[in-house]
Amino acid sequence: MKQHGPIPAPPDFPVVWEDPDDERLFWTRDAMHFPYPVNALEGEFLVRIAQGNGFARAREAYDMPVKMLVRLVNTYLYSAPAPVVAPEEMEAVGERSQEKIEEAMSRLGERWRGEYLPEIQEYLRDWDRFDLRGASTPELLAHLDETVARFRRLWEIHFTIAIPMMVSVSTFEEFYRDLFGSDGAFDAYRLLQGLDNKTVETGRELWRLSRQALKMPEVREVLEENAAADVVPALEGSAQGREFLAELDAYLDQYGHRGDLWGISYPTWAEDPTPVIKMLKDYVTQSGGGPDEELASLAAERERHLSDTRERLEGYPRAVRDEFEFLLKVAREGVVLSEDHGFWIDFNSTARVRGVVMEFGHRFAEAGVIQRPDDVLHLNLDEIRETARRLPDLDRRDLISRRKAELERFAEVQPPPALGTPPPGPPPDNPVNRTLMKFFGGPPQPSGEPGVLRGNPGSPGVVRGRARVLRSLAEAAGLRQGEVLVAETTAPPWTPLFATAAAVVTDTGGILSHCAVVAREYRIPAVVGTGAATATIKSGQTVEVDGNAGIVRILSENES
Amino acid sequence: MITTTNVFNILWLGDRACNDPAEVGGKAAHLSRLAADYQVPPGFCLTATAFDPDHSADAPLPTALAAALAAAYEALACRVGVPDVPVAVRSSALDEDGDLASFAGQHETELNVVGVDDVLDAVVRCWASGRNERAMAYREQQGLDTKGVRLAVLVQQLIKADTSAVVFSANPVSGNRDEVVVTASWGLGESLVSGTVTPDTWVVRKADLAVKEKRLGAKERMTVAVTGGTREVAVPRLLRKRASLSEAQVAELAQLAVELEEKMGRPVDIETAFAGDLLYLLQCRPITTLDESSLDTRATV
Repeated sequence: MKQHGPIPAPPDFPVVWEDPDDERLFWTRDAMHFPYPVNALEGEFLVRIAQGNGFARAREAYDMPVKMLVRLVNTYLYSAPAPVVAPEEMEAVGERSQEKIEEAMSRLGERWRGEYLPEIQEYLRDWDRFDLRGASTPELLAHLDETVARFRRLWEIHFTIAIPMMVSVSTFEEFYRDLFGSDGAFDAYRLLQGLDNKTVETGRELWRLSRQALKMPEVREVLEENAAADVVPALEGSAQGREFLAELDAYLDQYGHRGDLWGISYPTWAEDPTPVIKMLKDYVTQSGGGPDEELASLAAERERHLSDTRERLEGYPRAVRDEFEFLLKVAREGVVLSEDHGFWIDFNSTARVRGVVMEFGHRFAEAGVIQRPDDVLHLNLDEIRETARRLPDLDRRDLISRRKAELERFAEVQPPPALGTPPPGPPPDNPVNRTLMKFFGGPPQPSGEPGVLRGNPGSPGVVRGRARVLRSLAEAAGLRQGEVLVAETTAPPWTPLFATAAAVVTDTGGILSHCAVVAREYRIPAVVGTGAATATIKSGQTVEVDGNAGIVRILSENES
Repeated sequence: MITTTNVFNILWLGDRACNDPAEVGGKAAHLSRLAADYQVPPGFCLTATAFDPDHSADAPLPTALAAALAAAYEALACRVGVPDVPVAVRSSALDEDGDLASFAGQHETELNVVGVDDVLDAVVRCWASGRNERAMAYREQQGLDTKGVRLAVLVQQLIKADTSAVVFSANPVSGNRDEVVVTASWGLGESLVSGTVTPDTWVVRKADLAVKEKRLGAKERMTVAVTGGTREVAVPRLLRKRASLSEAQVAELAQLAVELEEKMGRPVDIETAFAGDLLYLLQCRPITTLDESSLDTRATV
């Protein structure tokens, strides 16, 4: 096998490896979860504690022969697999690991409901009970330590369930495909659609809110006539408006603990409901049965397909039928959990962490040691502790300026998709690697044709529309009904926009990415993992999205 | 046992009248004798007397014959407890005697025939197969009469096997008579018997039914029942690595082989199927390759 040399780093992206051995590993960028430069505190929480420690505990639990290292390189997140056992032991260890994962798969739903979810909900209650504003500095520091400990535990849970959860869906799909081949990429997934999950529930409750707004003429008028940013002040001016705002607050209390993407750096909807208002504005212009009807229709289709499939299997050996039913059951749990865990851990828990660090941020800004509250995100945990203990003596403004300058510098740069040394051959073919491939998508394939992008089929259907490239949820107001949403990645908080968009195209992801799974629930075509959509497509161009083939064509050059 | 006496000679496996190869052909007669003592899938034969060698493949059967067959099929369905019971329809030639030339595959066999209309059509096709080129060429090669061929037709419940197993009551490779060899794979026996799969194999000591050797095979493909017949499909990768028989099933099969060897007085190769929780005996033949005589199976007794 050919051994490659290290990938040369681009001149605007100089790489200095802290550990020289790191250069021999193959580092790829996780653009799906972290497309943008990562600040210091995000680096602590989401990189070191969540991804780093969380994944390591899961790897131990399942005795996986490969570990995942994570590093921030020039503010971007890169990860690399590294073997934990000698090459000759890999296969045997891998097989035993697979057995442990399969055992976890079979108990996943039961453990989630009986153990993990109650534990998560207890932490959320503990967080919400704590009086952040009223706490003394020592109390707040102790709370920070508890927060870090809880967060560490939550992300151990995250990866402990994520592995069997995703492998169950992938294994089911493979079994189905082994039996029946596939007329299209989506056959097996049709047996998993319409199962309701927290992500679609979030959108559905928003829809209900929009139906309420439609019954309140003053509210309806405010939504129709004001830009999203002006809606809340306008509603405050009337009794009916205030009544609606109370409903909105109740919604945000349940569903608003989420920001733009993953992480603690973005204001949550509860802090700034502008993205939600934007979605409400769109929804009040839409009629029809809405998400309830959609869910029922998806479920009916699923049950029909299931009934057909069971009929086909009648002539098959019992071992085949039994395995099918078992895998179907665990895959159903898996696909629901693939969105639900995000609601509870990725977003709800992370939002509580943001609340705690922002409390420090407010105090530091009041004391003048940082310029604005969210500058606290540019300090690491030890720096926060020290600053708090010595408040107001330790001025952090210069340090923060330097860190911000570094982030700004690298925000202008196109980070290379990979660093280090490419492996001599493809990754070993095993269930976990196949699952990762479906989640993250493989490296994008060039189409060879100008104006044509090749990605992974994400959700079936073919549609044409005007493209709208969004770089953040804050830009969502720009998305108009029937446009094609183009983004680097779409996290669950983006998904209520799928009711407005005609199709979605992303740079990152595979057929099991959040974007694809939810696009199928919203029944809009999706092409994911194109690699270059946001760099190639311009807002205003007419594009054709073929979700069956995984192809996007730019049809016109007209830009707006 | 159901017995039907009528002009059209429909005889049921297990009935003494059905034990006569002159009536139902060697294959069916042999099965009928086994059916008395073993779990052979129930079925009936249309005797050679009813065979019309000049019946055109395009013409329906004479009314009375069709009615008798229909009644027998319905009786079979009742017995099995499944309306429109899926069946295998096979020809059984009168000079097939089981000991000598294996006629397997030379005549028509149809699997997973469902409903009385399809059964009647299948019988007609079986009759026509007695005269097809392949059968004729084989008969000529064996030095058998090519003009006076007489066929019976066997209609038997099709077992939708979860696992099929071929068991040898002596080791066919080493000749060791103290061992039973069990080979098994998923689905109906066609894939196993035709050699398109690498089966799981167990070598069992006759004396105490202990497993001496166990080898899991690749079990790449399986024959399954589909609408209108059967199809050979790929085995899902998850099931290739899994043993197609439990330890208990292996022991049950070894036991059966030992019993049948005793009954036949010589080593046997048996075809079996597990479906639901039942073990069915589908075929039982002497192992011809263990004879001291050469592999030329034309040796006459």
